[in-house]
Amino acid sequence: MANRPVHFIWLLDCSYSMQGEKIGQLNYAIREAVPEMRSVAQDNPAAQLLLRTLTFSTTARWHHQDPVPVENFTWQDVQVDGMTNLGEALQLVARELDTPPMPQRALKPVLALVSDGVPTDDWKAGLRAVDATPWGRKAVRVAIAIGADADRTVLQEFLGNPELQPLDANTPKQLAAAIRWASTAAVKAASQMVAGATDPLAKQPPYAPPVLDDDDDDVW
Amino acid sequence: MPPAALWATLRESVQGVNKPRNQDYCEVAGRGTAEEPLIMAVADGHGSAAHARSHLGSRFAVDLFVEEARRFGALAQPRGDERPPSLAWLMHYAEHAFPRQLVSAWRDKVLGNWARTSSHEEPGLTEEHKVLLYGSTLVGAVLTPRVFAAWQLGDGELTVVDDAGRVSVPLAPAEADLGDETESLCTPEAWLRVRTHWAPVTAPWRAPRLVALSTDGLSKSFASDRGFLQFMAGLDDRLSAEGAQTVRAVLPQWLARASQHSGDDTTLVAAWHQGAPPAPEPVTAHGAPAPDGAPDPDAVPPTDHPAPPTDPHGRDE
Repeated sequence: MANRPVHFIWLLDCSYSMQGEKIGQLNYAIREAVPEMRSVAQDNPAAQLLLRTLTFSTTARWHHQDPVPVENFTWQDVQVDGMTNLGEALQLVARELDTPPMPQRALKPVLALVSDGVPTDDWKAGLRAVDATPWGRKAVRVAIAIGADADRTVLQEFLGNPELQPLDANTPKQLAAAIRWASTAAVKAASQMVAGATDPLAKQPPYAPPVLDDDDDDVW
Repeated sequence: MPPAALWATLRESVQGVNKPRNQDYCEVAGRGTAEEPLIMAVADGHGSAAHARSHLGSRFAVDLFVEEARRFGALAQPRGDERPPSLAWLMHYAEHAFPRQLVSAWRDKVLGNWARTSSHEEPGLTEEHKVLLYGSTLVGAVLTPRVFAAWQLGDGELTVVDDAGRVSVPLAPAEADLGDETESLCTPEAWLRVRTHWAPVTAPWRAPRLVALSTDGLSKSFASDRGFLQFMAGLDDRLSAEGAQTVRAVLPQWLARASQHSGDDTTLVAAWHQGAPPAPEPVTAHGAPAPDGAPDPDAVPPTDHPAPPTDPHGRDE
């Protein structure tokens, strides 16, 4: 017997536009969110929360390639570099969402996308690849738009649900709150062990986006 | 002194970790005779906010299945001098009429419950939304001396260990749903999604050795299908080696452990065949169906429009 895994994958924009305070805040926010993720995981002992990180810039590469149990997960800062190859990142994720390597008996995976810009490659092909996988279609998806330049249309399309909106993070404080929310609410949504009919009537918004304070002068 | 029971039965359900109530429900009844068919059912209420009354939905599903299954058993082996219907007719009834009648009865039951227990001040809901509140899966089986039939809507497992010890899950879908999504009694036209297993029993010793029905809380506690099948083979081994009484005593612990892994309510009912096969086996064509008459063409509706068939012996439902 085995607990049912929840695969959580961060997709982090590490293009040059994230340079400086943005990448610093991103690293800080995720590091601070890890203990909260552990706490959520402890609330659901039947689920096993496994974390991975994928960065995308001029190329997409795994920052944590193998799924790490949340209790063993330590954050290593990501660095900026070049373009915004979101499509390549989504192609890499799609490979991981196939069965195998994903097990058939698992809870919904979580895909958490954080970006501040406009993709510079064929991101639609990457998104189609994710949507073509059984787990990709079922994944809980969250998207965080950092600053005014982020392409919200792309993020909205990534979410694939008109009832969901990308979360705006226009200040360091909002980014921290958004990361915290993505790290906890999405995990709760994914690890809820309740069945539902596939009938459209039964579809419920998987989670409610938070209202983020906006009393920070430091707007990106 | 009454004859020893042909089937030993098991029945156990444990509540999921951190769950406020157990939304599973189950029943096992009867002896597997013509007069008292063996009937088993498990149902799993969905449990989320959208299905707030699913603990009732699962109970209604099991209770109504038992009623329908008794009716099916009486059809299969009528009392007195009445000639039983052909197996072909019965199979058609099982595949088409039974699911439709069961789903229809369940919908009537839940809508009646809604009407009786809801405040008039509650906002007006459509019929579909009311039914949705009671959403549940169902796995049910009937064993008579003549046929073994089973039905499944949604997740969960029907596991059969045959007389040679082979383990199978005859109602497993071609492609299992990922995650926790499932078909449901609350789905519109749900009878179209019911999967049916049909196996004539050609001789008492050819009946399955073990029939087990379980909710997905059990199967999802294993990392793979293989682990689940091994568990079921082990259950059969333990029953053979130690008897039903011993297994009944440890079953709650096994299910509790499974529930800790799946996080879900976990329910299992099972029937283990205690009859020893005679030796040597009779020299007949193994697997040949019991002799039966040709289907009554007037009683079998066209297959492209499977309305409930008319009972050839005047038992219209």
